[in-house]
Amino acid sequence: MVPLRVEKKTLPGQIDLYVIPTNKFKTVLITVLIRQFLSRELASKTALLPAVMERGSRDYPTYRDLMIRLEELYGAGLSSDVLKKGEKHVLSFSLEVINDLYAPGGELLRQGISVLHSVLNQPLLENGAFKHEYVEQEKEQLAKEIKGFVNDKLNYALERCIQEMCDKEPFGVFKYGSVEELAKITPRDLYAYYEQILTENPMDIYIVGEVEPDVAFGLVGEAFGHRDGQRRREIPPDTVQNIPAEVRYHEERMPVSQGKLSLGYRTNTAYRDDDYAALLFYNGVLGGFPHSKLFQNVREKASLAYFAFSRLEKHKGIQLISSGIEVENYERALEIIMEQVKNIKKGEISGEEMENTRRGLINQFKVVADSPYSMLNLSLDGLLGGKDEGLDYFLRKLAEIEVDDVVAVANKVYLDTIYFLRAEEEANV
Amino acid sequence: MSKLMDWVIRENELLQEKIFYTTLHPGLALYVLPKKGYNKKYAIFSTRFGSIDNRFRITGKGIAEEISVPDGVAHFLEHKLFDDEEGNVFDRFAAYGASTNAFTSFTHTTYLFSCTDFFPENFDLLLEFVQHPYFTEESVAKEQGIIQQEIRMYEDNPQWRVYFNLLGILYRNHPVRNDIAGSVESIGRITKDILYKCYETFYHPLNMAIFVTGDVSPEQVGNQVAGSLARRTFTPLKSIERIYHPENASVVQQKIVQELSVSQPLVNIGFKDPYHYLEGRELLCRELAAEILLEMIFGRSEPLYNSLYEDGLIDENFSAGYVAELTYGYTLLGGETRDPEELHARIMAGIAEIRKKGLNRDAFYRHRRKMQGEFLRSFNSLEFIANNYLSNRFREIDFFDIFSVLGEISLSTVEGLLEDHFKEELHAISVINPIQRKQ
Repeated sequence: MVPLRVEKKTLPGQIDLYVIPTNKFKTVLITVLIRQFLSRELASKTALLPAVMERGSRDYPTYRDLMIRLEELYGAGLSSDVLKKGEKHVLSFSLEVINDLYAPGGELLRQGISVLHSVLNQPLLENGAFKHEYVEQEKEQLAKEIKGFVNDKLNYALERCIQEMCDKEPFGVFKYGSVEELAKITPRDLYAYYEQILTENPMDIYIVGEVEPDVAFGLVGEAFGHRDGQRRREIPPDTVQNIPAEVRYHEERMPVSQGKLSLGYRTNTAYRDDDYAALLFYNGVLGGFPHSKLFQNVREKASLAYFAFSRLEKHKGIQLISSGIEVENYERALEIIMEQVKNIKKGEISGEEMENTRRGLINQFKVVADSPYSMLNLSLDGLLGGKDEGLDYFLRKLAEIEVDDVVAVANKVYLDTIYFLRAEEEANV
Repeated sequence: MSKLMDWVIRENELLQEKIFYTTLHPGLALYVLPKKGYNKKYAIFSTRFGSIDNRFRITGKGIAEEISVPDGVAHFLEHKLFDDEEGNVFDRFAAYGASTNAFTSFTHTTYLFSCTDFFPENFDLLLEFVQHPYFTEESVAKEQGIIQQEIRMYEDNPQWRVYFNLLGILYRNHPVRNDIAGSVESIGRITKDILYKCYETFYHPLNMAIFVTGDVSPEQVGNQVAGSLARRTFTPLKSIERIYHPENASVVQQKIVQELSVSQPLVNIGFKDPYHYLEGRELLCRELAAEILLEMIFGRSEPLYNSLYEDGLIDENFSAGYVAELTYGYTLLGGETRDPEELHARIMAGIAEIRKKGLNRDAFYRHRRKMQGEFLRSFNSLEFIANNYLSNRFREIDFFDIFSVLGEISLSTVEGLLEDHFKEELHAISVINPIQRKQ
C-alpha cells in the first residue's frame, strides 16, 4: 500500500494548509475547517454562521448568483456545515471541482478557490452587519432543522440518550444548538462573531487531489493568505474520565410502531490514549460488524431486531448501542445486550471473533485512502484528538492487539444511561 | 489455466477509464473496470429480480402457467441467501476482512462485498453463496421475525411512508405500487417452495450479471467466474415473461394523507409518465431530458426554488428527480414544508408560468454542463460506478454513454417534454401530517 503523503505549509495569519496529492480522483477537494469549542451559548451561532455565509457574498450577492457560478464551473459542489466532534464544533466549507486534467481548457481549480474565498472572506454586508433578510430566513430554516430531528427515530433516540447522559457536559449540546438560543441572534451579533471566529480560531485548509503541492500552496496562499491575526484561542481537550455512580433510565413515549433502545457507555479511553486501538477492537467485537456479538445474538439468534449495533463517539470516549425492537421485548433485548458486554469483560472472545474484527478494522482503515472525504476526516480526527499519527500508525497498532488488551479496555467501560423510545399506551392516544 | 477469454474492451478517453466485458457460458455477463491505486475492491452480483416481478410465466415447451407469488418475495430471498447448511455467510466474509451486503430494488437484487485484502477468496465466497440456495421451513420462519422488524422500522420512517403512499395512488395496477419488503401479512405466506421456485427462475446466469472494480486483473476475475460456473450444471433457461396488468393513463386518486409523529408536514408530488415500455437509448434520452427539464424548473439557480425557499415553503433538502424504468416512469418532487397546500399550488403555478414564458437557452446549456460535471465527479466512487453500470445495463443502456448522450440532448427535446409531461390528470400528492392530538 502506498503511504499517504501530506505536505504542510503555514500561511500568514497562522492558517495551516495541508495538501494530500493523489491521482486516484477525478476531482480536487478544497476544505476549510475552523475549530470552535462546543457550548450551549454558542452552538446555535456557530451553526447559523455557515448557513448565512452560503446565502451570498459580496461578489455573488444572492444564492442564485452563487449557484449559477457553480453550475458554470461544471457543477462544482459547494457545501458548508458544522461538525460535532466530541466537545468541539467544527465549521466546514468544502468545494469539489472537476480536476482540470478532465476538463480541457478549464481553470476550474483557480476559479473554484476564488468562489470559496469569496464566501469565506467577503461576506455580503448591510449596514455593517450580515444581511437581515438572510439571517432571519436561515434562523427559521435552522429552527425547523432542530425541531425536525425527531423525524428520524433511530438517530433521535441516540441523540436523546447522549443529551440525558451528558446533561451537565458540553457534549450534551445538540450540534445545531437550541431554538431558544437561536431566537436571540441578531445580524450584528452574528457578524461580530464571524469576525472573531475568522481571526482568532484555529483554521486549517485541506486540498486533496492530483495537484502539485507548490501550485496548491500558491493558489490558496493568493486567496487566503491575507488575514492577520493571532489564532491563540485554545480549544480544550474533552473530559473522558467518568465512572458513573449509577445507571440512569429515561423513557419517552411517542406514537411509533417500533421501540428504539439506546444505551450510553463511558469508555474512559481517549482518542490519544495508547489503548484507543484496543477500544476500536472492543467496539468491533461487540457491535461494529455483522459478525459482532450484538448482531449475532440480538438479530440472528433471538430474531428480536433488524438492527443492533454499537458505535464510538471517539473524541468523547462514549460508546452507544442501538437496536429497534418491539416494546414487549425490552427486557429480553436488554438482557441479551448486557450479557454480550459482560462476556467480553470476562474474556469470552473467540480467536475467530478477534481475527474477524482485526481484518474488518484494517479494511476500514485501508479504504480511507480511497475517498477524499475520508482522508480529510482522519486527518481532522488527528488534529482534534491530539494524535496526528495517520493511517500507518493505526494499521500497525491493529496488527498487534490481543485478547488481553481488549479485556483490559472493556473493563474500563461503564454503562451510564439507558434511553427507551416507546409507543404510547393505546388508552393515551 | 483456462484459455484466453474473449474480452470486449471499451475505452472512454474523457473518463480515462477502460472497461472489459465478456459473456461466460451459460450466458452470464461479466464486467471488469480496473482502478489502479485503489485499496478497495468492490464486486457485485446482480439479478433482474425485483419487487415488481411477482407475476410471471416461464415460456418454453408445454403449457406456460402463470405464477403469482406473495409481495416481498425478492427481498425475502435476498435475506435468505445469506444462510446455508454451514450457517451465516457474513462470518465467512468477516474472516477475510470484507464487508458484505445486499439490496433489493423494484427491478433487481444485488449482492455485494468490498475488501482490501484476500480478493480472490472473497470473490469466490460471493460466487458461491449467490449460486447456492438453501431454504428450510425453520430458517424461513426465523427470517419472518427479522423482516417483520424491518417492515415495522419503515412504518415509522416518514420519508419512506410518504413515498410509498404516493406510488400507491399514482399506480392502479403496476406492482411498483407495493412496498419492496411486502407486508407483514404477505411475508407470512412465503414458504421455502416459493423461494426455490423464484430462485430457479430468476437466478439463472442468463438473467444475471457481475461487475468488479478496483485494482484487479480482468483475466484473473474471468478465470474465477468461469471456474465457478464450470462446477455447476444448468438447465437451459426458457424465457421469463413478466406479467403486468395494463396500467391506466390515470391515477387512483389525487391525494393521500397520513399522520405520523413528525415535526412538520412532508410532501411528495408525482407526475406519471404514461409509457408502457421503453429501453436503451430511447429510455436514456427521456430520462436525461427530464432531468435537465427538472433542473431548469426546480434547480437551485432558478427563481422558483429561491422564492419557495425564501418564503419558508421548502428547505435545502427539497428534491426533484425523474425515475425511468423499463415498464414505468415518473417525476418525483418532495420535501418538508410548513404548508403542503400552498407548496403544491405554487409548484403547479410555477410549471404553468414556465410553460408560458418558455425555456432559456443559456440556462439550458448551464444545467447540461452541470450534469456532465456531476457525472464525472461520480467516478470517484467504486460503488457508484458498479451499481449504476449494472442497473443501466439492465435497462439496455451503456453507463459510459451518459456523458456524450447528455451532450446530444437538444433544447427542443426538453421543450417538447415540458409540453407533454406534468399532466394535471396524471399527477398526485402524498402528505404526511403531524399527529393531531385529541383533547
